[in-house]
Amino acid sequence: MQVDIHAPYKDRVNQALSDPNLRVAVSKATDRMTNARLASMGAVEGQLLRTQVRKMKEHVLSNWPDYLEQLETNLTRNGCTVHWAGGIADAQAIVKDIALQNSANLVVKAKSMATEEIHLNHALEQAGLRVVETDLGEYIIQLADEPPSHIVAPVIHKRLEEIAEVFQEKLDMPPTREPTKMTSLARARLREEFFAAGMGVSGCNFAIAETGTICIVTNEGNGRMVSSMPRVYVAVMGIEKLVPTVEDAFLQLQALCRSATGQQLTVYCSMTSGPRQQGDVDGPEQVHVVLLDNGRSRMLARGYGEALLCIRCGACLNACPVYQEIGGHAYGGTYNGPIGAVISPALAPEIAQFKELPHATSLCGACREACPVKIDLPRLLLDLRSDLVQEGASPKTEAWGIKSYASLMNSRRMYENLGKMASIGSNLYAGMSGGNIKFMPPPLNGWTAYRDFAPFAPKSFREWWRQRSKMRGQK
Amino acid sequence: MHKASFQQRPKRVALFVTCMVDMLYPGVGIAACELLEKNDIEVVFPEEQTCCGQPAFNAGYLNEARKLARRFLAVFAPLVESGEVDAVVAPSGSCATMTSHFFEVIFNESRETDLAHQAERLASVTFELTEFLVDVLGIVDTGAQLQGKAAYHPCCHLYRELGVDRQPRTLLDGVEGLEVVDLPHADDCCGFGGLFAIKNSGISAAMGRAKASNAEQSGADAIVLCDVSCMTHINGILSREGIACHAHHIAEILNNHLGSTLRPPSQPAPAQADHPRRWGD
Amino acid sequence: MTVRDTILSRLREALQQPHLPFPPAHSEPLTHTERMTVTHVDGDIWAQAHRFAQELHAVKGSCELLETVTEARLSVVSRLQLWLEEEQAARKTADAERPEDWDVLCWPLDQLQIEGLPLILEEVGFKLIQPTDLHDPEQRERIRYVRAGITTVEAAFASTGSFVVGGRGPNARAASLTPFRHLVVIPFSRLYATGEDWLAQMRHAGKLDAYLRHSRNLSIITGASKSADLEGNLTTGVHGPKVVHAILFDDLQQ
Repeated sequence: MQVDIHAPYKDRVNQALSDPNLRVAVSKATDRMTNARLASMGAVEGQLLRTQVRKMKEHVLSNWPDYLEQLETNLTRNGCTVHWAGGIADAQAIVKDIALQNSANLVVKAKSMATEEIHLNHALEQAGLRVVETDLGEYIIQLADEPPSHIVAPVIHKRLEEIAEVFQEKLDMPPTREPTKMTSLARARLREEFFAAGMGVSGCNFAIAETGTICIVTNEGNGRMVSSMPRVYVAVMGIEKLVPTVEDAFLQLQALCRSATGQQLTVYCSMTSGPRQQGDVDGPEQVHVVLLDNGRSRMLARGYGEALLCIRCGACLNACPVYQEIGGHAYGGTYNGPIGAVISPALAPEIAQFKELPHATSLCGACREACPVKIDLPRLLLDLRSDLVQEGASPKTEAWGIKSYASLMNSRRMYENLGKMASIGSNLYAGMSGGNIKFMPPPLNGWTAYRDFAPFAPKSFREWWRQRSKMRGQK
Repeated sequence: MHKASFQQRPKRVALFVTCMVDMLYPGVGIAACELLEKNDIEVVFPEEQTCCGQPAFNAGYLNEARKLARRFLAVFAPLVESGEVDAVVAPSGSCATMTSHFFEVIFNESRETDLAHQAERLASVTFELTEFLVDVLGIVDTGAQLQGKAAYHPCCHLYRELGVDRQPRTLLDGVEGLEVVDLPHADDCCGFGGLFAIKNSGISAAMGRAKASNAEQSGADAIVLCDVSCMTHINGILSREGIACHAHHIAEILNNHLGSTLRPPSQPAPAQADHPRRWGD
Repeated sequence: MTVRDTILSRLREALQQPHLPFPPAHSEPLTHTERMTVTHVDGDIWAQAHRFAQELHAVKGSCELLETVTEARLSVVSRLQLWLEEEQAARKTADAERPEDWDVLCWPLDQLQIEGLPLILEEVGFKLIQPTDLHDPEQRERIRYVRAGITTVEAAFASTGSFVVGGRGPNARAASLTPFRHLVVIPFSRLYATGEDWLAQMRHAGKLDAYLRHSRNLSIITGASKSADLEGNLTTGVHGPKVVHAILFDDLQQ
């Protein structure tokens, strides 16, 4: 069953859990990427690399507005046009206006989370433009009319035969499951689009403040295509995606590639510093950079600034056992996996808009271990849970339950009585069902729906202790 | 977390038995207690202890968590500060993480600096059981004997928050007769996660089933771990799925509580092997 | 207040909050001396060239190492001829030969530092296409089906098998991007042990900042265009070249 990202959280999760293809595809791919990351980070001084990239990014965020101004100055000096967008509507309008002013009826796009965040395709299509995603994975899900389900591998949730079906249905591909043939077909189709497009749009993996350079990283070459072939090139970048110097960029690039796919470097890192000049054979005549806030400044002020260190490598998704079970769509936002569970609520106007996500984790910490900038994701998830409680966004019964539990546990007498009652009750009950408890009433039925529960011990440790002490005559 | 280094071998410790061990698995507490005593450590059990507050903290209820944290500090900190005990030992990586790591966090959050400092001082002498046995007492062989195949599952808090992994593995390697086999995807979470197991029970159980199937694949008779919460989850799944493998807390193995042979629960174990968990029956 | 000013002032305000958990109030930049070099290569220029070849092979490229410029000249010609044969053979028909098979999209060949190369290529029958304006529809159309491109590089990094191509003046970005096959000619004088080495030398010469800004576009290329989007199956030649062949030659002897 396909996951409907507009369905309520519980339905999305159930849809995801009941799709066996999803689990096979996702866990196979995430295992592959995790192993590649471990090998690649292990082949170099990976821990030092993480420490250094984090230090560099921390410094950027400590001096964030200054670096943004430096970037703006240098981009402008290079002949780029800089736009600032506060939110989704601003950003959509800016890009749409650029397209309309240049009569760009066809827009080719490289994979970009920032443009997903602002629902750019939808906005441009509303304005009558045709938008074509050119990353192979994005192309497939655009044909299938689905959002991406992974930060770097958007079609990770689909198996080969499902992709072949999409190609047969939408592109009239003759029946085949030959990856080479499918790739050739996509190459031929998209090549036509690159040559015809009036505008190229990409995100920005990082921008170099000292030079005013926009860097985009791809393996297929579509990033170079969209930033080189059309007359107009627009890069939409989250305002946190800054590095101070060229050397910092090269350092972060390596951390990104190794963490995302386990490559030393991706096939292409395309660095654009400005538009085509007199005498240049090719390149865009206009380069526009859209600096997108869309909640980032709010995220900093709310205390979730650490998540702004994220370089969007997807390593935490690959490492996450929850993501492996449910894939990306069940998270219901642009970003998924552990980082999505943090930034979807932290970026949103109200944290409670994504109130389920901070709880969609066992807090195992595998994400933090994988993160190239060591973001303490479990800690941020705990902070979000606490903020939700303070905002009164948690269920009333839960709040009552926790408060009662805390009161009981705050008294030795009540604690011991509770223990005794639980022991007697659970043993009586377990006796009826023959050993283990197979069913408990709500809310504990969540446990027994899938697992047995062993009854409480007939006598507690403290009773043993007291009896032993008595026998020893200590008391 | 900065751990104190002991000038002299510690003589007395306070046992933080944890509420789950106290009420559900007293055998684990008894094993922990006896293991320490066998190694010439006098054990003190402060009977005022209850729960460390982790469930409240995990669910985001910091005020409630602080209430129980204050209680915990009031019970344990004076014992350490007066020199009555040299350390606090817990047979649980998760609860040790709560008291030695997150107490400081929640009191810093509420700007209760004195309590945060007290928590920090207490944390420096708080140890998970295997960490204490190996790192502080220098034990590699507890003298335990057990025939069978076991696989070690590193519980997340123990492994990733406390960084304790080598210690339990060392102790298991020292068990005579025990063949320790690899658990595929060993460091994947079992899916417990406290309230997560209830709130997101479907996901949690799917993770548990992945763990159970890896346990089955490993060919082990038993999964060994250092937290009874994860043990409860894994056993709940193994039992429901009918897989002939059982999870045991490491203390039970190190203290010879399981008889002479590990066997799947389908084969009835000798009566006395069940003794610790059913103590007093 | 403009959107720009609103955003900047919000950031400034947030950073001045007294108990902001992140970022730390004072944090130092990563300095040039402490910044690590991620990958390493030992040995002389030949050792570096061998390493380059090894790394490029690992990312679906191929490479030959040559001692002289004369060998490099021959190699360029024979590689293009080999590709031509492969292209025609792949079409599986007797009358497979098409005039555009002889087209080669290239940068001005004097940049390759191989004397006499254009002459030989033209003698053999290759048609060298050097567009001047690829936004001109006619010129754009002319390159659409060209199957081979030749460029040289700004720099190459031995430790990762990477090379850097620029895109300004007569150097078309398209030459290393749109053709199915990319022949890249790398004199030893442009081979560096690592990317960090190249950056350090540029920085030391005081030209890194200006160089990057004036380049309009630089691309670091490491291997053949590829994707794993089809359920993890590795496919090559998705948008960029499927075949990347490097000819490295020793120009340091003279």
